[in-house]
Amino acid sequence: MKEDPVSRSLSRRTLLKKVMYGLGGTLALGHVIPRVQAEERDVSKGETDRLVVHVVRPLDAETPVQEFTAYLTANSRFFVRSHFGPPPVELLSDPNWRLSVGGMVDRSLTVTLTELKQFEEVSVTAVVQCSGNGRAFHRPKAPGVQWERGAVGNAQWTGVRLRDVLAKAGIQAGVHHVQFQGADRPVVASVPLFTRSIPLEKALHPDTILAYEMNGRPLPLLHGAPLRVITPGWMADSCTKWLTEITVQAEEAKGYYMQTAYRVPMTPVEQGRAASGQSTPVEAMVVKSLVAAPKGGETVKAGPVSIQGVAWGGEVKVAMVEVSLDEGKTWETARLVGEDHPYAWRQWQLVWKAKTAGTFTILCRATDDRGQTQPKTSPWNPNGFLWNGWDRVTITVAA
Amino acid sequence: MTFSEHSRVFFLVVGLVGLAGVTAAQEEDLGVSSAALALHAEGLIISRCSVCHSADLIAQQRLPRARWEATVVKMEHWGAEISKDETDLLVRYLSARYHPGAADRLPPFDSELKKAEPLTQEPVAEGPLTGIAARGAGIFEHNCQACHGAMAIGGMGPKLVKNPILKQEDLFWEAILHGRGAMPAWGSVLRPQDIADIHAWLVTR
Repeated sequence: MKEDPVSRSLSRRTLLKKVMYGLGGTLALGHVIPRVQAEERDVSKGETDRLVVHVVRPLDAETPVQEFTAYLTANSRFFVRSHFGPPPVELLSDPNWRLSVGGMVDRSLTVTLTELKQFEEVSVTAVVQCSGNGRAFHRPKAPGVQWERGAVGNAQWTGVRLRDVLAKAGIQAGVHHVQFQGADRPVVASVPLFTRSIPLEKALHPDTILAYEMNGRPLPLLHGAPLRVITPGWMADSCTKWLTEITVQAEEAKGYYMQTAYRVPMTPVEQGRAASGQSTPVEAMVVKSLVAAPKGGETVKAGPVSIQGVAWGGEVKVAMVEVSLDEGKTWETARLVGEDHPYAWRQWQLVWKAKTAGTFTILCRATDDRGQTQPKTSPWNPNGFLWNGWDRVTITVAA
Repeated sequence: MTFSEHSRVFFLVVGLVGLAGVTAAQEEDLGVSSAALALHAEGLIISRCSVCHSADLIAQQRLPRARWEATVVKMEHWGAEISKDETDLLVRYLSARYHPGAADRLPPFDSELKKAEPLTQEPVAEGPLTGIAARGAGIFEHNCQACHGAMAIGGMGPKLVKNPILKQEDLFWEAILHGRGAMPAWGSVLRPQDIADIHAWLVTR
């Protein structure tokens, strides 16, 4: 994955083009292509372009799903989840920002961003998804930001391997967890900090990185500048933004955001009931897919309609995407198209011959390599995590 | 609140009357709440909850009373400046307005409250109020400090010590009563005497 500077700058240009043109040349059919091309994006312009805002302060905003006709999600259109919002910019810039590595290590480290960049640079294209994406579809409703479909995105993340940084510090015997602390702080000091940890095994995985670039650009402020954790295949509660402290330790992180929030019950919970048994942190993604085009409420002409979208399985490859136009009675297999990388999403397409005028509901569901298929609705849990029910878009076919 | 604590409250409520019963009781509660109380609750949301997060986060929830209780208690535990009475009022109001059966889109809370009396416990403008600086310090700490900083030295909101607005009392009152820029209106939370006390304390700083 290591790229030399020349091929890197070339690939960066290719990358920007990909962000700009979306599926462009990949899909041969459909009215969607001119529209996608017409929406050329300047990825450097504005940090939150056309997002659907759920909470103004601190900002929680999701991406309109039609953006997912592009393989990579533009930085300015990438969903934003904030616990407290970005720290003051001056704390994150060169003279002030440092990353410290401490705890059960042989040598504590404190490094500047320039020093951190001395480690081998790697890139990984990965889906980042909020654990609460789709919470709005749980019934009864679960408390929290009512995310619908777009608290997810696919981006190329560039940085250094966490394992390389940990190796330099030297991990002592008895370590089982690696804790992350960002520089974001609550307005009121008595509110618990967003302190999280991941098991050592995930921390040492060669694809777990500390990222300072997103889609070939320096990490934007809202996405964790100058450095965030990327745990490919895992939900974004492990992807700490504005990272400043890494602590290597025996136990899981303490505090609300690890011990109470971002957990799911280990045994099924009856709808609307509170969990009573043991719970486990939200970690790996579950297989999921979305219809990106046509968009909900759109009117299309009778004739061939290009239905397209994305599907991802986190640490597991997507094996199949199916589409139904009869409320799940029959399913037709879609064609997987475009790039195929671990942790990234897979684009898919199905040409549907719309013969009669009327209202139609397009459903899609994906199956991963382990044979896990998206359920019609996901198991209820008190905090509404890990929704992966069939995606559903209703369109009109004009006479 | 942990899951097990939560489940205790939840089972108590749901176990006794069932979810439909809870919802009906909540609707009834809304009828009982006077317009002035609703106005006061909305004022609390602006002044206590919006210190940390905008009120849209609240308005998108649809929760049974037990979960609203758990939420308000959690926020109080985390440092929200709410008294016991205010907690009760908030839980009553939130579970009446944002219960599981409530519509996705609700009319603005004040659509039926236009004629509601403002929450003033004493007559306004019976001659100029005299602020008491000693009281103002405590009122400031309780209501203003989260944004304007300890001892009013500034924070998310501007520094108020020696701020020119202190010399323009009409502007000062206007900002507090009706809000200014990012600052929410405090007219439904602070009494005129409170505002006078805060002003009196600030000018001594």
